[in-house]
Amino acid sequence: MNWRVLRLEGVGKDFDRADGGVAQVLRDVTLSVERGSFFTLLGPSGCGKSTLLNIVAGFEETTTGGVSLDDMTVTGPGTDRTVIFQDVSNALFPWMNARENVEFGPKMARLSAQVRKERADRYLRLVGLDADGGKFPFELSGGMKQRIQIARALANDPDILLMDEPFAALDAITKKHLQVEFRKIWDETGKTIFYITHDIFEALLLSTHLAVMTAGPEAGIKEVFRIDLEEPRSPSNPDFAAMFSRVESLIDEEVQRMRAR
Amino acid sequence: MNPRKFFWRVLSVVVAFALWWLSSGTIFNPILVPAPHKVAVNLWEMTADGEILFHAWASLRRVIVGYAFGSVLGILTGVAVARIRIAEDMLEPPLQFMRNITPVAIIPLAVNAFGLDEPSKYFVIIYSTIIPVVFNTAAGVASTPQIRVRAAMCLGAGRWEIFLRVVLPSAWPFILTGLRVALGFAFMGVVAAEMIAAESGVGYLIMQSRNMLLPEQMFSGLFLLGLIGLVTDRAFQFTIGRLMRRYMLQTAAFD
Repeated sequence: MNWRVLRLEGVGKDFDRADGGVAQVLRDVTLSVERGSFFTLLGPSGCGKSTLLNIVAGFEETTTGGVSLDDMTVTGPGTDRTVIFQDVSNALFPWMNARENVEFGPKMARLSAQVRKERADRYLRLVGLDADGGKFPFELSGGMKQRIQIARALANDPDILLMDEPFAALDAITKKHLQVEFRKIWDETGKTIFYITHDIFEALLLSTHLAVMTAGPEAGIKEVFRIDLEEPRSPSNPDFAAMFSRVESLIDEEVQRMRAR
Repeated sequence: MNPRKFFWRVLSVVVAFALWWLSSGTIFNPILVPAPHKVAVNLWEMTADGEILFHAWASLRRVIVGYAFGSVLGILTGVAVARIRIAEDMLEPPLQFMRNITPVAIIPLAVNAFGLDEPSKYFVIIYSTIIPVVFNTAAGVASTPQIRVRAAMCLGAGRWEIFLRVVLPSAWPFILTGLRVALGFAFMGVVAAEMIAAESGVGYLIMQSRNMLLPEQMFSGLFLLGLIGLVTDRAFQFTIGRLMRRYMLQTAAFD
């Protein structure tokens, strides 16, 4: 599909509360995500980041405002936007081996067996699991499962990858490796990434754009940055450190504000 | 099986037979409760003249027919209850009511409604089968992880494909558990029905033997019942292990 900008305009989301009231989770969120960028949404826990991602994915409807790719309004889930979930054990199909999981999207697209095989080979190799295609999810570690999920999403050839804290549940060492590798994968594939995290370090390591959210309820966008740090990015770089403390103080402000309520 | 386990298991069988043998003629009247060796002789005779096979096949045939219908009907109903709002509202009350009425209690009604022949047996077996299958299927379908369905949506699966390729496979472990329980229920149902109104089958054999004061034959019937149940359950597990193994990977081993 041909589009230039993913736009969120005045997005608000209310949920009915169990006590009969209404919880305003998001309020007036406006963002522009340019094609090809690595856009990260950073915010304190419970601020509605995942809700926003679910709205962009088309899983949930907005109460106010809307999401569009240029002029085309997003009305539901579509193959142009593929989500990579944090809970990878439930996200993968446990009765399919790694290769079958990766081939699922191409199969739904009615691609020939030959093309499906080529896609699976290519993306299993890209995530470094070309030798493990025959293994089932229960035989794979958390990090390997997440690689499979990334390969499965890429084999679907979406325009945008929506990533909901994909590495948050992994151990520190696996996480670090996957972050570096994923940044390379992004370089190679040129996909637009809409990434959610509460990890400032991760955000600065990966993204080209960073939006910091205000604390919920009625969460919105506090500030948007363009990140032009020297490549390869390294926390020992003084600009990196300066950026880190600046973002950290913004987040702290929001946490304080939430506590004060 | 390790040797230690094997030893205790063999011993348990030996002890059971010993207790039976000792009690016959002491606690119990040996004419009404015969000793194991007398039953063994009878079992041999009945096997040789084909009577065992005749009654076993009569019961088995009824179970195969009733269980097949009951399973299909149960899975379809369970899916409907879990996925269709109106079906849930319409079917929940009668199902919740029915689950309290044991299959044995339904036999007189079955005979009144469907007569003394095969249809009433089928009805009892279908009734016995359907309840566990419906509730397990509905639970399985309803417990499909939401993000698994969402993942399939992103990958381009339509409604029907999501059902066949995601929801149903996710529900298989539950459905198979229901089917296994139902298989046991089906045998309980058919034996009870045969005791009340039938001219063949293991239930008939047991009841008739008691009435005609042939206790050795009655015991042979009981032994047969245990054997058929054990063999069919093992066959069920074996088949599942072969055909459905990949769907069981999401839960603990099926055992």
